[in-house]
Order: sequence, then C-alpha cells, then structure tokens
Amino acid sequence: MHLVEEFALHPFTNWTLFGLDISLNKAVIMIWLAAALVFILLFIAGRKAEMVPKGVQNFVEMIIEFIHEGIVEPMIGKKGTPWVPFLTTVFLFVLFMNLLGLVPGMYTATSRLYVTASLAMIIFITVHAAGVKAHGVSYIKNFVPGGVPAFLAPVLFVIEMIGALAKPFSLAVRLCANMFAGHLVLGAFIGLALLFKSLVIAPLPLMGAVVITGLEIFISGLQAYVFTMLSAMYISDAINSHH
Amino acid sequence: METLGASIGMGLAALGTALGISYVAGKAAEGTSRQPEAAGAIRTTMIIGAALIEAIALYAFVINILLWTKITG
Repeated sequence: MHLVEEFALHPFTNWTLFGLDISLNKAVIMIWLAAALVFILLFIAGRKAEMVPKGVQNFVEMIIEFIHEGIVEPMIGKKGTPWVPFLTTVFLFVLFMNLLGLVPGMYTATSRLYVTASLAMIIFITVHAAGVKAHGVSYIKNFVPGGVPAFLAPVLFVIEMIGALAKPFSLAVRLCANMFAGHLVLGAFIGLALLFKSLVIAPLPLMGAVVITGLEIFISGLQAYVFTMLSAMYISDAINSHH
Repeated sequence: METLGASIGMGLAALGTALGISYVAGKAAEGTSRQPEAAGAIRTTMIIGAALIEAIALYAFVINILLWTKITG
C-alpha cells in the first residue's frame, strides 16, 4: 500500500487548458530534463564534427552505429537508413527517461502509463503514415495476408486491425510495467531492511537492493533497446510489402 | 480472499513466463552452439521473443496492481 503511494504524483501547479489537466509535476519535469539531455548530448557531438571523431562525438557515433547496424539494417534493410535519426532519438529519449529514475530524488517518467502511451501513439502514427507514404491507397492490402480465399478476407481484415491496435498497447504496457515493477521490487527490498529494525538482518536486504539496482540499470538499457527494435519491426512491416 | 487470488494469479503468470523465456533462451543457446556464425541474428530474435513473452507476465502484473489497489482502498 505504501509502496504504490510512493509513485503518486503531487502536482506543483493547478493549470488547465481547454478542460485538460496540464499542471506541472515531477514526471513532466523529468520528461523535459530527458529531452534537454538528449538535445545537449547530440548538440555537443555535432557542433564541431571532425573526420576522425574523439570524445563525445566518438561516443554518439558509437550509439548511432549500434542503432544502424544492430537494429535498422537487420530489421528494415537498405531502405531503413532514413529511419536511423528518428530511431536514435527515440532510443536516447527512452534510455534517459529510464536512467533518470535511478538517480535518488528523481522520478521515472516511463513508469507512468500516459507517458509510454504517448510514445507508443507517436510510433503508431509514424508507422502508418510511413506505410501510406510508401504504398499509397494499396497500403490497406497489408492488412489482408496474401493468398486467402475471398470469403475469409473480411474476417482476417478485422483480426489484423485488432492486431494493429494491440501493437501500440503492448509497446506502452511493456515499458511502463517493466519500469514500475523494477522500482517496486527495489522499494520492497529497502522496506524489508527497515521493517526488521535490526542491524544484523538489515545488510542482507540492502545487498539485495544493490543487486537489483544493477539489474535495473541493465533493464533500462534493454527496454530502450526493445522499444526501438519493435518500432523498427513495425516500420519494416509497414514499408516492406509482404505480397 | 482477493489478496490470495491476486497472489496466486501473479504466481501462475510468473511460472508460465519463466517456462517460456527459459525455453527461448535454451533454444537460442542450442542454435548458437550449432551455428556460432549466426549468433548475432539468433540473439536479436531471442530478445524480441523474450520481450513478447515477458509482456504477458507484465499484463498479469498490471491487472494484479489494479486488483490490489481495489482491495487496499
């Protein structure tokens, strides 16, 4: 009960715009901070681009190469190169939001469903816009698998539509629940240490908390990677025709 | 009673996911040892598969949290 309440946001202001709640809270500030960090990192890297990279530029080029050769090439293929900047930005933004939550006193913006749902909506709209751009009106044929009998086509079309709507849902819930569950486990370990009120037993759960923190750093990177990879997969499904 | 239901449900979801992910990882290790040059492609496929399986446990987790907040107020 207490643990879940730790995630509650207490808005600093009480603003509304056209009936929508736009008050400032910790999660919003974390999103701005993550966006600013991505901007600063990429700005410093690109300010004085050199032929032989060193320092920050070298590091950023390593990330971009990882996105290009590790995600885009195997998923989308040669046609995917224009998608590298978009996917790099998504990867860095999600990664920074995940990692900021591990700094004491900060907040994990990605542990709120509306943050991840907004990200998933951006991916959803981008994917289908790219599909329409690549195929025009005949993009709708992508929703019917090739070679099915005519009487089955409408049924399969409805099923594929539900599948298409489930994709952003699963993207959002996966990221959000992973981050939320990780911090809940961390909180449970620290709560366990406080619960016993004994200096003999307390080090054991605290050691567990240290291990879980290490795991959380790994999970932050892995979830950002999975999010980017699945986005690349959906883009590939939309722009590479199957039939 | 609801607490018991939520706990048993979470346990079953974790059990199924553990079996699924261990199968995926085991098969990936098998494939890598049989064909070490395909390690990169196998790893990518394994991570996607594991992420999709893991999502099922996370759906159960979300439903459990919803159930649990309903119980405790």
